[in-house]
Amino acid sequence: MNGEAWRAGIKKYYIYVVLALIVILFSVVKLGQVQMFGRGHFLSPDSLINLLRTAVPILTLSGAFTLLMISGYIDLSVGSAMSLAAVVFALMVLNGFSFLPALLATLLLGVGMGWLNGLLVMKLRITPVIATLVTLNLFKGIALLIVPHGLSAIKGSAEKLMPAWINDYARKAVLLGLPWAFYAAILVIAILAVVQRKTILGKYAAAIGGNRTAAELSGINAVRMGWLLYILVGFFAALAGLARASYMSLGDPLSGDGMELDNIIAVLLGGTAFSGGEGSVLKTIIGALIIMCVTTGLMTVIPAFWQVMAKGSVLLLAVVLNHLLVRARARA
Amino acid sequence: MKLTENVLEIRNLLKDFPSVRAVNDVSFDIKRNSVHCLVGENGAGKSTLIKILTGAYSKSGGRILLNGEEYNPHNPRDAKQKGISTLFQELNVVDQLTVAENLTLGMEDTTLGFLRKTDKINKMVSVMNSLEPSIKPRQLVSALSVAKKQIVEIAKAVATESDIIIMDEPTAAISEGEIARLFQIVRGLRAKNVTVIYISHRLDEIFELGDYVTVMRDGKHIDTRPVSAIQDRSELIRMMIGKTVFEAYTPKPERSRELVLRCRNLTNHKLGGISFEVRAGEIAGFYGLVGAGKTELARAIYGVDEYQGEILFKGRKLAPSPDKVIAAGIALVPEERRSQGLFTILTIRGNVPVMNMAKVSRHGFINSAQERKVTQEYIEKLRIATSSTEKEVIKLSGGNQQKVVFSKCLFADADLLMLDEPTRGIDVGAKSEIYGIIRRLSEEGKAILIFSSELPEIMNICDSIYLLYDGNLKASLQNGPDIDSEKIIHIVTGGEGK
Repeated sequence: MNGEAWRAGIKKYYIYVVLALIVILFSVVKLGQVQMFGRGHFLSPDSLINLLRTAVPILTLSGAFTLLMISGYIDLSVGSAMSLAAVVFALMVLNGFSFLPALLATLLLGVGMGWLNGLLVMKLRITPVIATLVTLNLFKGIALLIVPHGLSAIKGSAEKLMPAWINDYARKAVLLGLPWAFYAAILVIAILAVVQRKTILGKYAAAIGGNRTAAELSGINAVRMGWLLYILVGFFAALAGLARASYMSLGDPLSGDGMELDNIIAVLLGGTAFSGGEGSVLKTIIGALIIMCVTTGLMTVIPAFWQVMAKGSVLLLAVVLNHLLVRARARA
Repeated sequence: MKLTENVLEIRNLLKDFPSVRAVNDVSFDIKRNSVHCLVGENGAGKSTLIKILTGAYSKSGGRILLNGEEYNPHNPRDAKQKGISTLFQELNVVDQLTVAENLTLGMEDTTLGFLRKTDKINKMVSVMNSLEPSIKPRQLVSALSVAKKQIVEIAKAVATESDIIIMDEPTAAISEGEIARLFQIVRGLRAKNVTVIYISHRLDEIFELGDYVTVMRDGKHIDTRPVSAIQDRSELIRMMIGKTVFEAYTPKPERSRELVLRCRNLTNHKLGGISFEVRAGEIAGFYGLVGAGKTELARAIYGVDEYQGEILFKGRKLAPSPDKVIAAGIALVPEERRSQGLFTILTIRGNVPVMNMAKVSRHGFINSAQERKVTQEYIEKLRIATSSTEKEVIKLSGGNQQKVVFSKCLFADADLLMLDEPTRGIDVGAKSEIYGIIRRLSEEGKAILIFSSELPEIMNICDSIYLLYDGNLKASLQNGPDIDSEKIIHIVTGGEGK
């Protein structure tokens, strides 16, 4: 009994401990002359602001991604969906659209991409990994096609300037040095955390992920629910892509690459079972912050080509911990 | 090795499960090179006995002698090596391989990991040929019919010199013509030094095929006799059901006339045109053996499986989709509570309100205090043994889990409850509690359909009884003092009704 209580306690709190340890670790390391955003300490306001600004896309997206994974499904196309949204948003801004119409059109595009994934997985019953691998390539392919020949991204040029306001959303400080995009992400997290814990949608997601047959026999329309979650993920992937474009002042068709992996790591670090059934939006967010700390923290101390491997090690840690905790539950 | 007269001797065999003694002091012999049939109702202990023989379960007591030697298999593979092969209903062949590859699967001769052609294959193939020349060794198994796949498995068992082949309902999924061919082959096995233990619910097959028959009932051995010493199927049926004293059925004083459900000519892949009516407060029981179509009927009404025909619920046509059926006022307690009825990793509170979330929420927001309150109500009402509403369902006993499924369905405010095997795998005490709940519900005016393969259950609580065989409704009876259990068994085992 005592062992079980211990395990339950570890399961509940380990992610906070991991985050704290990482923050402490990078704070203690003497950064000396190493160039870090604004040449500051890891915990200096400048570097914190930078860390949170670059974390905006994953913070925006990973809440919806968690809900999808709780229901037992997955979307590998989120990175490409982000890229395509970034490219489309930048293209519209470059061609004279103002912020609001460009925002609405980008979000509508996100809904469309999510709808397509939902169609393939829920309606046509194609395995989620296969279906979203295909759309990953589709979305990325379209993004690459939109970018004119010879350019690497949609960006301003001498003849056609990118309006300066494009990075108002994700760069301009509005409160405590942080931009609108950050507060939007916080709002999204708050809403989705409430959705997961307090609403029927959250409950049905857990029910479908826990036992789809029982869910359907209990009258839950699993197809409709899953479809809705895919649309939600597409919507927030588009918002994340828009934030990325705004931050970089350009539409890079590769800017979302690897986002699916970051999301999966964050969700697993947050203790959601890969097979679905349970999980927590808030813990995923902690997981996302861990990833951001590791990447930006590492950026200051080790060469770039080591960073991918370091990130891989974090994934390994996440998978092993997740496995051990899930197994502990199965035995209990 | 000197061959004993009896290939298998079972002595005082016991098997205990946490709440029940499934095999109780069973002793009998199986003669070498005979076809030995094993019969009994569901729950008689046949399957448990077979699982001990195949090494899937270990016995709790007693002895088994195979060829005069102690036989104690650790697992199915071990059982096979010691000489007992089994033809399960779920066939053990790999569809993507050829017949020859399947025959030698797991016993390939290799050099440094490369397959070698040896005599083994030839020997296997020649056994195969002697049984069924029409099956070609290079053929893909996926192209074979179920019956021919069975023959491939039999050939493998014969070629590996099994002493005994256990066949579990081999005719359940094959056609008439194929059954005749299978019987020919089974009869031929005697000459190949193989004993067959044959399990079937179709009693006519026993008389056609068997040399000996062992009857089991309630985990006990009733009798073992040569089939020739049994007069007819009704004598066999009497042995199977014995003088079971059914808990007395008490007829309802008055019956409401309000029609709740009317099914007309339900037909699909399994059902052959089923029509019946159920009224408010009525408990209707559907009885039949495994594969008779009970679950399929429940699934059709519930809108899970497609069907032709018409279902009217309270005068309205029922849309074929579970969410709409539930909204109309029908709830199903499914056959497999763990895989179909429950969210086992969730708590009791996570399960009970799930079919009617509108009742515990406003504008999509769940009121967890309300959830806890209704869950507590059902815990008290159905006497679910738990310390709190927050206990994970997986930690409850089978009986209490079933009560959670009941709570879930009752909370859906259904006027018609469908119960598929409502007391399967739960102990006697919990069973009678569940019966009490069912009776109470019917007194409250709910119509109830029970789909069960346990006759005492049907005769104990149902007002009307419908008998299914092979997807067809063979008879409908009113329960009462003069109901004839022998006649019922006669009909559901394929005998002609009057």
